[in-house]
Amino acid sequence: MPRGRQMHKTFNNIKITILCGFVTILVLRGTIGVGNLGSSEAEAINQNLIEETNRILAEIRSDSDPTDPDESPETELNPNVTYTLGPKITDWDQQRKVWLSKNPEFPNFVNGKARILLVTGSPPNPCDNAIGDHYLLKAIKNKIDYCRLHGIEIVYNMAHLDKELAGYWAKLPLIRRLMLSHPELEWIWWMDSDAFFTDMVFEIPLYKYEKYNLVIHGYPDLLFEQKSWIALNTGSFLFRNCQWSLDLLDAWAPMGPKGPIREEAGRILTANLKGRPAFEADDQSALIYLLLSQKDQWMDKVFIENQYYLHGYWAGLVDRYEEMMEKYHPGLGDERWPFVTHFVGCKPCGSYGDYSVERCLRSMQRAFNFADNQVLKLYGFRHRGLLGPNIKRIRNETATPLEIVDQLDIRRSVHGKTESKS
Amino acid sequence: MLNRWLKVRRSRAKIIVLCFVVAVIILHGTFNPLNPGYSADENQNHHSDAHSKRVESRRLLEEAQNDAAQGDNNDNKSYAEFDIAKILIDEEEGENEKPDPNKPYSLGPKISDWDQQRSEWLKTNPDFPNFIGPNKPRVLLVTGSSPKPCENPVGDHYLLKSIKNKIDYCRLHGIEIFYNMALLDAEMAGFWAKLPLIRKLLLSHPEIEFLWWMDSDAMFTDMAYELPWERYKDFNMVMHGWNEMVYNDKNWIGLNTGSFLLRNCQWSLDLLDAWAPMGPKGKVREEAGKILTRELKDRPVFEADDQSAIVYLLVKERAKWGEKVYLENAYYLHGYWGILVDRYEEMIENYHPGLGDHRWPLVTHFVGCKPCGKFGDYSVERCLRQMDRAFNFGDNQILQMYGFTHKSLASRRVKRVRNETANPLEVKDELGLLHPSFKAVKVSASS
Repeated sequence: MPRGRQMHKTFNNIKITILCGFVTILVLRGTIGVGNLGSSEAEAINQNLIEETNRILAEIRSDSDPTDPDESPETELNPNVTYTLGPKITDWDQQRKVWLSKNPEFPNFVNGKARILLVTGSPPNPCDNAIGDHYLLKAIKNKIDYCRLHGIEIVYNMAHLDKELAGYWAKLPLIRRLMLSHPELEWIWWMDSDAFFTDMVFEIPLYKYEKYNLVIHGYPDLLFEQKSWIALNTGSFLFRNCQWSLDLLDAWAPMGPKGPIREEAGRILTANLKGRPAFEADDQSALIYLLLSQKDQWMDKVFIENQYYLHGYWAGLVDRYEEMMEKYHPGLGDERWPFVTHFVGCKPCGSYGDYSVERCLRSMQRAFNFADNQVLKLYGFRHRGLLGPNIKRIRNETATPLEIVDQLDIRRSVHGKTESKS
Repeated sequence: MLNRWLKVRRSRAKIIVLCFVVAVIILHGTFNPLNPGYSADENQNHHSDAHSKRVESRRLLEEAQNDAAQGDNNDNKSYAEFDIAKILIDEEEGENEKPDPNKPYSLGPKISDWDQQRSEWLKTNPDFPNFIGPNKPRVLLVTGSSPKPCENPVGDHYLLKSIKNKIDYCRLHGIEIFYNMALLDAEMAGFWAKLPLIRKLLLSHPEIEFLWWMDSDAMFTDMAYELPWERYKDFNMVMHGWNEMVYNDKNWIGLNTGSFLLRNCQWSLDLLDAWAPMGPKGKVREEAGKILTRELKDRPVFEADDQSAIVYLLVKERAKWGEKVYLENAYYLHGYWGILVDRYEEMIENYHPGLGDHRWPLVTHFVGCKPCGKFGDYSVERCLRQMDRAFNFGDNQILQMYGFTHKSLASRRVKRVRNETANPLEVKDELGLLHPSFKAVKVSASS
């Protein structure tokens, strides 16, 4: 081929290449860069905002820790080595007694009442959806109200103290840690985050439990005769701060460590307890199994309470609130005016519960308002209905408010009761 | 010859087609932005850029949330798609008490002998003293948030962390908490809602000596610092601020009402009565806002807020109120987050809790972040990340009592820093917070 033509051809090719390259650049610019029509700047900012927000939400929700270098899964416990909550202590009663005598300014009885610590908590990351966090917030407000009226302190835990005992088992190392750090506490009261106080006046009758170390809601026949996995409820129970409790915690913990131990334990529990579905070991079933199999060692110090709703299963209670308000009054704590309404199975912090979402949320809101009405009464208000957020006045303002205070302040009526008893 | 002509034509045709295709691609990319949910029409509909920005992001936040939901969306056991607004409705309609427009707003019937009423009550109720220890008054910390879920999907989570933080500080310092979720007076909505609430609580709880209002976006970052109650024995109101900035400059941020103390006494009731008139929503608040913007330095244009109103009140009626108002700046009763949060690591290295001031702030207040609302004045990322850091900074002081600490200020995870022992009572926590002196009961042991 003549050289001239070849050169001409090459030249053409080069032209085409340059043209295509130019065009490619234009296309890429239009794709990545800012568009060049009118409101494109707002678009871009919008775009950035949206992306940023999504990214942050995803990061916040995810469990991954950006600063944690050892993201590798923890090596599971050697199943041959028994898990322990901590070094064995055998003289806790003695240690505690000595400490109390040396520290009179931190007594275990204040104003004639035993010192109680309410312990509750939730995971450190946001719930799977926003509604869950909103109800966690309402639940803690509810607990704050009750505890303020009854002189009880609260610890709200959001840390996993022991990776092995995560989930519902997390309460064990937490309770042990708090008992040992606070010898001035006489009782530790664990309460689930999905339990609401619905009787603001009722006070736990501690005088009943002088000879006991564990107070838990349940039914003896369900426990001993039927061996049911829901014979007791570990959503709300009291532990005395003493050696016996440390021993019980030590005996309770072994089924907890996650992984093959918990799985295997779950199978044992399902096989031995009536009605238990197949899933990994949970603290409630484990406690029931423990108390059944080592009955003689523990049961003499366990008080199975069912005279009032230390734990009240929500389904049978929430629809009757209006009836209760009509016929009864706070202070009863039982089926007429339940002390605690516990939303077992609702799991609003997760993505799914065992019941219909609408039913659960509606009921939780009703329980919250039902309780809140008892708090607002002193201030002259109540909720318009059991569902809505708004309140209405039920008593006019006065220039002599202290007359009302004397009548209505729950704290004063409660205090009066304890005085007469002690 | 013809062949060659055809060849040239063909190659030219190829080029033309190529260029045409490319042009189509460019134009397609320009007119249809990448985001699939976003149409050019919506872009045209905004009244203001800001509004459309927020609406759009809100919608996308919802979408993101729904996308994250697992499983069948029709399953009514799934929380992801549930619209809580379906539930939070008022059943009883009731007459909304319409305020008489001719009557000036009032927080309640005038009381003029509160000091006397209260002191009589305290005498007849010795079991509810207003001082729980020598130099330790009974304090009620008051905070709150809306009874409706936050607009921002993680807002409630931050409110939860914030109240946990307050629970921890107050437990250590023997302070009670009232978490308000009720709107006592519809006219005084928004930031003004604290006024009727404070008045109501003072009158219902005569045993309280000081009421400590604290915003929901403020966190305790010094768990060991006890307020210097002695310093305030001759004062009735304590706010963080500077005398010069308030009285000389008339600066609207010369003080901060996000964290302040109010004594339970007649003076405070009178102050609340004098403070309230700019609050009622609607015309009154709008007009008041204009006055405040005009009179105060650097104040932007918006409706009257409680903080500006009290600056104005103090400036105008200094002789009446100023003597009993203490503007505290020796420690951070309120600490603006912007200048504090980046220094936490430096603080950990150089200082220790118990100082309360710039070296280790008592309170870090996230003004302007508004994690519960749609959008605040600062970037979402900075706000939320810094709130996490502030929370962890405070939480570390609590966890150290039990032998733990967060792995880092950004991490939710904790690690052990002190081993378990068989003699737990011999172990002292570094900060002495397990059994601090400000929590001691002045009673003989009765075990």
